[in-house]
Amino acid sequence: MKILSISTATSDLSVALNEADHLVSEKIEENQRNHSVDLDPDIASLLAENGLSLKDIDRFAVAIGPGSYTGLRVGLTTAKMFASILNKELVGVSTLQALAQNFAGEDALIVAALDARNKNFFAGAYRGKEAVIADGHYHLSELLEQVGALPDQKVIFAGSDFSKYQEEIAAGLADKDLRLAEGEENLLHAGAIGRLAVSAPVLDPDQAVPNYLRRTQAEYDWAKKTGQEFAADSAYVEEV
Amino acid sequence: MKEKKDIRILAFESSCDETSTAVVKNGSEIESLVVATQIKSHARFGGVVPEVASRHHIEVITQITREALEEAKVSWEDLDAIAVTHGPGLVGALLIGINAAKAASMATGLPLIGVDHIMGHISAAQLVEPVEYPALALQVSGGHTEIVLLKDPTHFEIVGDTRDDAAGEAYDKIGRVLGVNYPAGKTIDQWAHQGKDTFGFPRAMIDEDNYDFSFSGLKSAFINTCHHADQLGQELDKYDLAASFQAAVVDVLAEKTMRAIRQYQPKTFIMGGGVAANLGLRERMNKEIAALEKAPKVILPPLKLCGDNAAMIAAAAYNQYLAGNFADLTLDADPSMELPYAEDYK
Ligand SMILES: [Zn+2]
Repeated sequence: MKILSISTATSDLSVALNEADHLVSEKIEENQRNHSVDLDPDIASLLAENGLSLKDIDRFAVAIGPGSYTGLRVGLTTAKMFASILNKELVGVSTLQALAQNFAGEDALIVAALDARNKNFFAGAYRGKEAVIADGHYHLSELLEQVGALPDQKVIFAGSDFSKYQEEIAAGLADKDLRLAEGEENLLHAGAIGRLAVSAPVLDPDQAVPNYLRRTQAEYDWAKKTGQEFAADSAYVEEV
Repeated sequence: MKEKKDIRILAFESSCDETSTAVVKNGSEIESLVVATQIKSHARFGGVVPEVASRHHIEVITQITREALEEAKVSWEDLDAIAVTHGPGLVGALLIGINAAKAASMATGLPLIGVDHIMGHISAAQLVEPVEYPALALQVSGGHTEIVLLKDPTHFEIVGDTRDDAAGEAYDKIGRVLGVNYPAGKTIDQWAHQGKDTFGFPRAMIDEDNYDFSFSGLKSAFINTCHHADQLGQELDKYDLAASFQAAVVDVLAEKTMRAIRQYQPKTFIMGGGVAANLGLRERMNKEIAALEKAPKVILPPLKLCGDNAAMIAAAAYNQYLAGNFADLTLDADPSMELPYAEDYK
């Protein structure tokens, strides 16, 4: 099974080609500014270098969230359209689970997190591929509390730049063996998405939306003001 | 004689709060048009929230692509190009259409065409009847109020522009004062037909020697009148308020547009954009043009083609197709894209 995987969830732009769970080829550009401009050309050259065309791909895999809202949509729109037009499979993989795979060989709890401003993080904790703390939106103090309650001795923080919170993390998890990932250890690899995609459930392209993990501020404000519940997304859009 | 091959274009439009796809043959025949509107969603907030708009666009994009093909009874092999609006508009919203179109172009090998949203609105005219050039267009919507000269099918130039608010924006703002839900244009238009112009609001820039507009002074005058009455505990007639506001807007739009028509002597006059659906404006323009000695052909696209839709994008893309203007996979959103200004723009 040939898998083309895409990550535009963070500032890194990565595309990869996997044959089942074996990585064939991967491109990764750090701190890329404009994913929308570079994604398709990167996919085109990855395919060309491997003598393949889009039609040869069996499964399109994408980092489905959390991450930059716009970035998530660039990657998922592209993957959805490929799968829908070519009648191939679409799968979405957690951005955080993919990040945690940077430490796949380590016997440690991996706390994968992306900065969500004001000391908040989109975060999850993984032992290997297993999610121990579900992907969610957490304040740092909340995250430290949950990690502290787990039995794991060795803990690695990855994904976001945690150096400015080093002291707070050390104080909150005083009895753990801590490490903060550095430099390339924080890169999001499409190859990891491709590996996880082998066992991920197949999605309906018409139904697939990013896993933002947060509604918009406008929606929270509206709910607070009116006391109303959110309806299903589909209730707000109608074909005319 | 060999028959000319039909050119069939699938287009995407997602620049604001409508996600739309369409298949158009030869730039003039709509074979399908699908429009998914988010009005219900943004009505909660009293205006379009960009992040919410982007989220809705991605929910429907694959489905409405398939529907456009099914409705037109064509498959990808029957198409000649894929087109998409790449600006102006909300950047996050534009990116859904752009990435969908690029992915479709990659998956099918069909050439890609990037379309200016305003050129699209104006090109809705050719879905009604053929445009003869030079043509002149009055483009009025929530985001734009422009008089555009069409030199030929792909060279459009601005001869008049708004200095501040767009006409549609002014409707929404005074709508808020009158307690009319967003979008307010249709209701204000209806009320205006039941009232009289009794307030005599200012007609800004109407006598200036250019084709530009300004609506912020009118908006302020309107709001001040309402506040003042509020303080005195007076109740103003909402129909007369609407009629007075609309009369001021229509007066300026009609006066300046008629002057531009006299100067440029277009063969076709086109009215486009959401506010072109306004009946007050339509009636007035029809009447004034009919009174001209040498009247241009007038094209007022039907209401469905005045709002944002992908058929107009496919129509504009057809002109670009014939001119050989294609985009590549690096096509990006340009949220503040502008048509060029005419050389004699003042
Ligand atoms: Zn528009």
